[in-house]
Amino acid sequence: MLTKLVFEFLQSLSDIEIVGGLTLLSLLIGGIIMGVGVIIARTARLLFTKYYAPTLPQDSAKNFGKLIYFGIIILSFLVFTSTTGVDFSGLLVAGGIFGIVIGFATQSVVSNLISGIFLMIEKPVKQGDKIEIPGSDVSGTLLDISTFSVRIRKFDGTIIRIPNESFFTSNIRSLSSTPVRRSEAMVGIAYKEDIDAAISVLEKAIRNSLPFVLILPKPEFRINELADSSINIEILVWHPRDDWDQVGPKLLKVAKNAFDAAGIEIPFPQRVVWKSQE
Amino acid sequence: MDLLQIKNMNEDTNSNYSDYGVYSIEDSLELLLPDTIIKIKKIGKNVFSYTRKDAEDNILEKTIPVSSSELTIELAPIRPLNYPARRTDYLYLDLDTPIFLSSGASAVVLVNCPIEIGVFIIHGGNKDSLDWFTCNHVDSRFCLYGNPESGTLCNYSQSKIVESIDSSTPFRNAVIEITLKNELSRGITVSKLVFPISEHSIYYKNSKAIVDSLNGTFKKKLTLEISDVDAVAIQTDWTKSPTYERIENVKHIDLGVD
Repeated sequence: MLTKLVFEFLQSLSDIEIVGGLTLLSLLIGGIIMGVGVIIARTARLLFTKYYAPTLPQDSAKNFGKLIYFGIIILSFLVFTSTTGVDFSGLLVAGGIFGIVIGFATQSVVSNLISGIFLMIEKPVKQGDKIEIPGSDVSGTLLDISTFSVRIRKFDGTIIRIPNESFFTSNIRSLSSTPVRRSEAMVGIAYKEDIDAAISVLEKAIRNSLPFVLILPKPEFRINELADSSINIEILVWHPRDDWDQVGPKLLKVAKNAFDAAGIEIPFPQRVVWKSQE
Repeated sequence: MDLLQIKNMNEDTNSNYSDYGVYSIEDSLELLLPDTIIKIKKIGKNVFSYTRKDAEDNILEKTIPVSSSELTIELAPIRPLNYPARRTDYLYLDLDTPIFLSSGASAVVLVNCPIEIGVFIIHGGNKDSLDWFTCNHVDSRFCLYGNPESGTLCNYSQSKIVESIDSSTPFRNAVIEITLKNELSRGITVSKLVFPISEHSIYYKNSKAIVDSLNGTFKKKLTLEISDVDAVAIQTDWTKSPTYERIENVKHIDLGVD
């Protein structure tokens, strides 16, 4: 009795034509197919994220996850269209013309999309890397490379979004691709001071006060310039790549304190004016 | 007692330092280590306070609620991987006297290896990390093995060749036995050893510590001369230290022969 009722209901749905051979029944079947497709896509992405993604780099895992999800959705849509029996060729022709119009109007969007794809293929940097874009004030941690843009968390805590095209065509300086980095500072001593003694003072101070400075390669001290008022010593020290903040900003303070403690003069610009006597 | 006094007092003798081991505390405990004092005191019913003070007057304080009226801790040497920060699993031992190995020769040497100190709370058979520190701040530094583009960051330590496994300096270093074998067709001078210390266990007795042995073989791999290093567990009646840090799989690198 119930089966008969359901059958009659479905029969009535198949009689109701919406447009060009598309009946309410085929639309219902299509809806079920799409629904099942979405459930399968979500389950597949979940399983992938849980079991396989941890073994892949973060950005690759994210992109594969998207590929699986949208791949299954598109597949479901194709199954849906084939079951409805609707002829989409007319729609495709109209869509082609419409696509050209949209293409002209959305050049930058497409450009960002293509750049994003190239960024994912070339991988100049990866998620979590510390990067700097020379010539701009952008430096920070790369959060993600998405379809149209790149997000960077700057060192001041704010997040900046850069369109993929602009990021792809920029010079990118990676601060994370090597195990160590070098920091530099310049400090001047008076001409009356002993250069070797001053370097020895700096060496000891760096050894004692900056635990992140590498023993090897050794810190280097170069006489950079015999300047107007001072002998300028350039200090070059290596440290682990993620510990710039423990070394770079502290280097000058350590040098100044060490020179003060050792009685070594850091001169300031001076002019000696000789007054002639007739 | 003032730390400066302790430092001066211990310059000639190590006899006043506490020992590694398990301590049960009912009321209070004071542990004396080089440049460091640890004080544990009962401050309430089933509550203890933990205070550590170093030579630069840096103080660390923690409150420890416990389920019984007694607190049991273990003071033990741990791997030297945490100071100044946990960045690498590799240790670079810079030998103060290089070892020459002629072709086909092998040698067994004992050398000093740095350690850090861990404090663990023991409850119901579990050992939880309460604190860690180093008694050798100035010498705990990083170095790079290889070039800046592709080298390996290591914890650096200068290392002396010693005569026996009891030759460690309490709370500053341990002794590691190293077996070196030269399978190359030429003699080599070994001046440094680079290996992942995270694969080695540490054992202690009183205030002395030893580390699992290391086998190093110098051999030819295709056209490259490499040194192949492996950790070897030792058989000893000394007490095995608990593990402080999370153990991760370390990618083995082929070390070149300079």
